[in-house]
Amino acid sequence: MSLSLRLPLPLTTAIVSLALMQPALAHEQAGVAGGLASGLLHPITGIDHLIAMVAVGIWGAQLGAPAIWILPITFPLVMAIGGVLGVLHVPLPMPEVMIAISAVILGVAVAARLRLPFAAAALVVAVFAIFHGHAHGAELPRAANALAYGVGFVSATGLLHLCGIAIGTLTRWPAGERLIQGLGAGIAAIGCYFLAQGVGAFA
Amino acid sequence: MKLNSARLLIATAMLLSGGHAAEAHIVPARLGDFYMGVVHPLTDLQDVVLWTATGVLAGTLGATKGRWLIALFPLGLVAGLLLGRVLGAASTQLADAAMMLAIGLLLAAAVQVPTVLLSAMAFAVAVIRGAANGADLAPETDRVLFAAGLTCVGYAAITLAMALTTVFKRTNSDSATSWRAIAIRALGGWIAAIGLMMASLALAS
Amino acid sequence: MRAIQYLRLALPALMLALAMLMRPSALSAHEAAMGVLEFREVRPGAFVGRWSIEPSIGASRVDLRVPPHCFLRLPEMNCGAKGLVGPITITNLGSNMSVVLIKVIPIEGEPRSYTISTANPVVSVLGTGAPTLEVWLELARTYVNYGIDHILLGADHLLFVLGLIWIVGGGWRLLKTITAFTIGHSASLAAAAFGLIGVPERPLNACIALSIAFIGVEMVKQQRGEIGLTARYPWIVAFSFGLVHGIGFASALAGLGLERRLLPAALLFFNIGVEIGQLAFVLLVLALIWAHRRLDAVVPRWGEALPAYLIGSVSMFWFFGRLVRVFAVI
Repeated sequence: MSLSLRLPLPLTTAIVSLALMQPALAHEQAGVAGGLASGLLHPITGIDHLIAMVAVGIWGAQLGAPAIWILPITFPLVMAIGGVLGVLHVPLPMPEVMIAISAVILGVAVAARLRLPFAAAALVVAVFAIFHGHAHGAELPRAANALAYGVGFVSATGLLHLCGIAIGTLTRWPAGERLIQGLGAGIAAIGCYFLAQGVGAFA
Repeated sequence: MKLNSARLLIATAMLLSGGHAAEAHIVPARLGDFYMGVVHPLTDLQDVVLWTATGVLAGTLGATKGRWLIALFPLGLVAGLLLGRVLGAASTQLADAAMMLAIGLLLAAAVQVPTVLLSAMAFAVAVIRGAANGADLAPETDRVLFAAGLTCVGYAAITLAMALTTVFKRTNSDSATSWRAIAIRALGGWIAAIGLMMASLALAS
Repeated sequence: MRAIQYLRLALPALMLALAMLMRPSALSAHEAAMGVLEFREVRPGAFVGRWSIEPSIGASRVDLRVPPHCFLRLPEMNCGAKGLVGPITITNLGSNMSVVLIKVIPIEGEPRSYTISTANPVVSVLGTGAPTLEVWLELARTYVNYGIDHILLGADHLLFVLGLIWIVGGGWRLLKTITAFTIGHSASLAAAAFGLIGVPERPLNACIALSIAFIGVEMVKQQRGEIGLTARYPWIVAFSFGLVHGIGFASALAGLGLERRLLPAALLFFNIGVEIGQLAFVLLVLALIWAHRRLDAVVPRWGEALPAYLIGSVSMFWFFGRLVRVFAVI
């Protein structure tokens, strides 16, 4: 595996300069800063989304090639398809429950080091991606600046994957492997909590 | 060693452009219409995303294919400004989104785009963005100076973006699964995703 | 042979320079219609303001902003114990009235005047007492920005620097050359600002244009394989033309009505601003040169002479334009 844990310098700088740019942009284009910030924060503040996203990254790293490199390229696109459905107000069945279920499945997969065939793994992740994108897409027309929101939320998603993949590289060491399995179990547990909540709200 | 200096350069360029944007709102009053033309696209997210995408795509395809853009892109911006003047202000939202989606998909799929297609796409991006940049100008703006500024920043941005991408990708024959190639393809995936959602939004509204 | 070629260029420049030094009084005639606003201190911190010359757009329509701690209701202005310290702004100066002169007459100390123009809508008024930290910061902020603006708007200076980079190339030699240019213009900027040398603005501007033409000629020489003066002694050329350009910078500082005791600091900050702007420009040019090499997109053989002729033509266009204005004054 040639992925390094170190965050490349340009990436760090990009984040810093993005942070610097925000107040300045606000003057020029109303809502860019707000859109970026809310887009960036949205996937991070929803715990169910957050844990599932990190789990996707970890699982991808566990599965190794080709999952580890197909994942970051295609996930945003599949998610965008969900986003389009959200924008067009096409309803999906029980979004909260589905996201919680995907968190549970992904968590279990990580904890059990489940080695599904690639197509099956891709299907599980794609379902999650579409539901995840749908939740954000529904927010899109309400954002102060839709493009800024889109950029923010796609970047946040990508960075969360990166976190997951980085955590996943711990599998190289036996102790790290344990840690990751523990994490997976934790994710599944939190997913169960949200599932119970979702079902409770539904019932 | 060489890589480190290149990284530093990217980092500096990013910070510089960030610092530049901080001046955006006072620039027209302070420095006149030329610098307004320079700063205007740098503070517009559509321009930042689309220009970066175009530069990165050209850069990944290599210097021999990309270098036509050094002249074509600024020319396209001027053409767009003129066209926008003739046709009047029209929303470029859908066109922007479509270009984002197209360029993003090409990047994500690591397609070896032929030179003619690359040039045509870059020119189209430039025309669209040129028209968009000229759309909301105040009547007292000196359009010649604004166009000069826009052309200069277009030239500099596309040239630097291409060169930095070639440095990042190092060689043309890099395998499509090296982490550098993956990083660029993932960027393409992000851009395509943003384009797809923006397109649906433009169509829905 | 080469010496004669240089003389042909250098002679008019020298004559112009001599002509300037013989008329040491700087030109300060403002051609535009001007408004003059006078603030006379009647009690500590309390001023009476009145327009001694009404601006052409009408006094009531001028959007005058005073420092936030001051309370303004013409003809009265009360600034309290802090006194009149901070920025005064007029943002709506049209093209028909480009300048407002603000005179501040304190109870103690010398009267001061400040110029507000469309291009420079903010002036910083500094207190009469010993300068506080706030005053220094305000001074630094104002003049560093002013210096950056000045160099970024000085297309002639930037073109000269571009020509220097073109001839010298990158690396250590460029560093020395740019440093020499910096030392040159800093020295003459200081000398001009302190009134040691006085140079009328218009002939000087013509001279600056000529210096760029010189660089253009040197670029052509280099392409023909001759080793010009600039290629051999870049720092000498850069230093001496730096002297000329520095006097040009000083003309921007003139007429700001700055107190003499604050002049050194203002000069320093202004110079820092100029260097920041210049450094940014040099870095951008170097980055672009690097990018062009990287993309293997260098000027084709048939077009090699083009940049030199472009720089030459532009500078001569400026030169003649400015020359006409020199004679229009005399």
